[in-house]
Amino acid sequence: MLKTTAGNGKSVPARVAVVAAGVVSPLGFGLSETLDSLREARDCITRVTRFSVAECRCKTAGQVSDERLLDGRRDASRTQSLHRTSHMMIQALGEAVTQGPEFKPELTIIGTTSGGMSNGENYYRSLHRHGNLRHSPTWIANYPAQKPVIDAQETFGISAPCQVIANACASGTNAIGHAFECVRSSRYQCVLTGGYDALSELVFVGFDSLQASTPEKCRPFDRRRTGMVLGEGAAILVLENFDAARARGAPILAEITGYGASTDNFHLTQPDPSGIGPRRAMELALQSVQVAPNAVDYVNAHGTATLFNDAAEGKAIGELLGRVPISSTKSMMGHSLGAAGAIEAIVCLLALQHQFLPPNINFRAPDEDTELDVVANEARPAALRAALSNSFGFGGTNASIVMRKFEA
Amino acid sequence: MSLAIAGMGWITPLGNGVDPVWQRLLEGAEAPAEKIREQLGDQSYSVFRVPNSALASLAPHPRLRRASAISRFAAVAGLEALHAARVKLGPQNRDRIALVFAISNGGVIYTKRFYRDIVETGAQAASPLLFPETVFNAPASHLAAILGITGATYTLVGDSAVGLLAIRMAEDLMTNDALDCCLVVGAEEVDWLLCDAYRRWRLLRLEPPVEPFSEVGRGMILSEGAGAIVLTRDGSLMIERTHAGGYYRKRTEAEEILKRIICDLTEGKIDFVISSANGTFIDKAECSALRQTIPDAIVYTVKPALGESVGAAGLWQVIMAGQALRCGELPPLLHVTSAISLRTPALRMSLARAGHAIVLSCGVNQQMAGLRLSIQ
Repeated sequence: MLKTTAGNGKSVPARVAVVAAGVVSPLGFGLSETLDSLREARDCITRVTRFSVAECRCKTAGQVSDERLLDGRRDASRTQSLHRTSHMMIQALGEAVTQGPEFKPELTIIGTTSGGMSNGENYYRSLHRHGNLRHSPTWIANYPAQKPVIDAQETFGISAPCQVIANACASGTNAIGHAFECVRSSRYQCVLTGGYDALSELVFVGFDSLQASTPEKCRPFDRRRTGMVLGEGAAILVLENFDAARARGAPILAEITGYGASTDNFHLTQPDPSGIGPRRAMELALQSVQVAPNAVDYVNAHGTATLFNDAAEGKAIGELLGRVPISSTKSMMGHSLGAAGAIEAIVCLLALQHQFLPPNINFRAPDEDTELDVVANEARPAALRAALSNSFGFGGTNASIVMRKFEA
Repeated sequence: MSLAIAGMGWITPLGNGVDPVWQRLLEGAEAPAEKIREQLGDQSYSVFRVPNSALASLAPHPRLRRASAISRFAAVAGLEALHAARVKLGPQNRDRIALVFAISNGGVIYTKRFYRDIVETGAQAASPLLFPETVFNAPASHLAAILGITGATYTLVGDSAVGLLAIRMAEDLMTNDALDCCLVVGAEEVDWLLCDAYRRWRLLRLEPPVEPFSEVGRGMILSEGAGAIVLTRDGSLMIERTHAGGYYRKRTEAEEILKRIICDLTEGKIDFVISSANGTFIDKAECSALRQTIPDAIVYTVKPALGESVGAAGLWQVIMAGQALRCGELPPLLHVTSAISLRTPALRMSLARAGHAIVLSCGVNQQMAGLRLSIQ
């Protein structure tokens, strides 16, 4: 195992490279389509078709096309028996494998919020109407949160043990951050990480009941924001010891350099208005990379467009990082919960690779008491070296990662 | 790296408190089964429930007012473990302790209630009070708030191997010098819906007893509760080694993966194994792997006495191993047939010179893990 040692004999943290990545989200299938959607500031929110939303205030979400998801699957019987979360994970991991088939993960760490919830819904509904439970073994088999991860790994012959983190909406960033620390500590050379979540009726209605989701457009950081729209998707990043990756000639897409996590005990569903939780996560992420706040060139904000989140996050960003360009790409694709942090890490990766600031669409006017530099409505070209991505969740979980452009 | 277990706590169907429950197990006690029914179906199921008296010591806290049973169980076990470890949380160390919370089915009782309202009455009947409690990490959030932890908290989801995977994660976290200790908690609540799902998957037995390692694999009895351990860097009861685990597709694969895990953990002498045998198909794989790798080791499982608590199960197993090493004895293994080819304690068994133990967790949903403990 490669372990870096300093002149004084003490081991120093290993550099962590992103050597492969894959994504499926409402923005598109794969990195290329995602890049196009970001550059063109596409609004990918549509009316929900998976279940009835007639009684909900909110009627829209970012959705992944089933037709495209199942297109080209060779094994029809296996395709039918898998849940769409598995198909999303297979799609995302498949793209990563195509880029770098030689990677050999020793561990997989994936974030999710609701696992195979729609299987539970099908099961409950069938029981409730004393209906046909012929499919119940399939629903039950696909319910566990680790199942899509195992399905995807099996598809590509990967046998790494998997840890599934369910830290609500911070899950994806927590998973990437923990994977980063595993490689950074040299306990592991290569870790597969990311997140997934699919729309489900229970979760959709839940956010609607809280009035956290909006019947209008999703307008993060806008003065007249009215809430989030949900989304879905999956994203995978392969993290590897930088020196090992270089030694085997692997392409390096970016480096992850910092991670911070904190817990805000203010309330189960609301952040401390002072922004202390998000601020602490960002501070820890910057401390771990030992860079000053002004080294951050772009923040991909959690930015759910709820009154409370954006106020607390905006305050924390403003106080810690000043007028750094920020955007919430949830405005384009919705909030994919456990997948959000992973998809947004891909957004940061693309921004660093292609030197642009992803847009925050539907933005009209900033909050009166903040001076944030919101990347309003259009992507901007920019020289970027470091990006910070935030994810915060129910339960007061806060996570931030720092990603750096790879310069050979 | 090796870690020390500085404190342990649990709440089980045989009550709460490590020592009192341990004594009852040594005496051969088995949790009383309770029948649960539901309008959703005609079938009733036997479960092992936590008695109300076990929650009596829990002080009121605003976070527990509406919280699920899992959150209460976790609070009881977590507070006991921290007390035993003499860890006092305050401004000076509240971000130097991490919380790793293992769970499998989560807050299924509130989730079912929340969704029932949607199905029966429509989306407008959905309760904004219930929904947040349906989220997997709600119990971890409540526990962090009760204890005042502001450092990293992680909720790990999986099958009954998740407890050991959580300890592995804690070991990874503890490589960071910014942490002084890590509280690992596993918790689960039992409900009719879970019983029904496991029964349709042919994993559940309608009535006790749970017969471990039986040829037929008649099924498990679900139970509930929580287990907690505090991990530090120095102490006498050590987790010498954890295995990252693996996953299987078929039973034959399970056996091979288990053999690899056992071989990785058995450098040197092993005195006993705390197995995860729960009366299901997976027992065969565990039995066969143990027989082929460490045929002389004494094998015990607590699941005939306490049931299958899934998310809590791995922590209970580690606590059993820790107590057996500390106290130098094992409880009698209940309901085991004489036909099995493993060395099991038919009666309370002295382990006067036991210094090393393995804990194995084989989940019914494809995950498996293991670790090795020692006492100095």
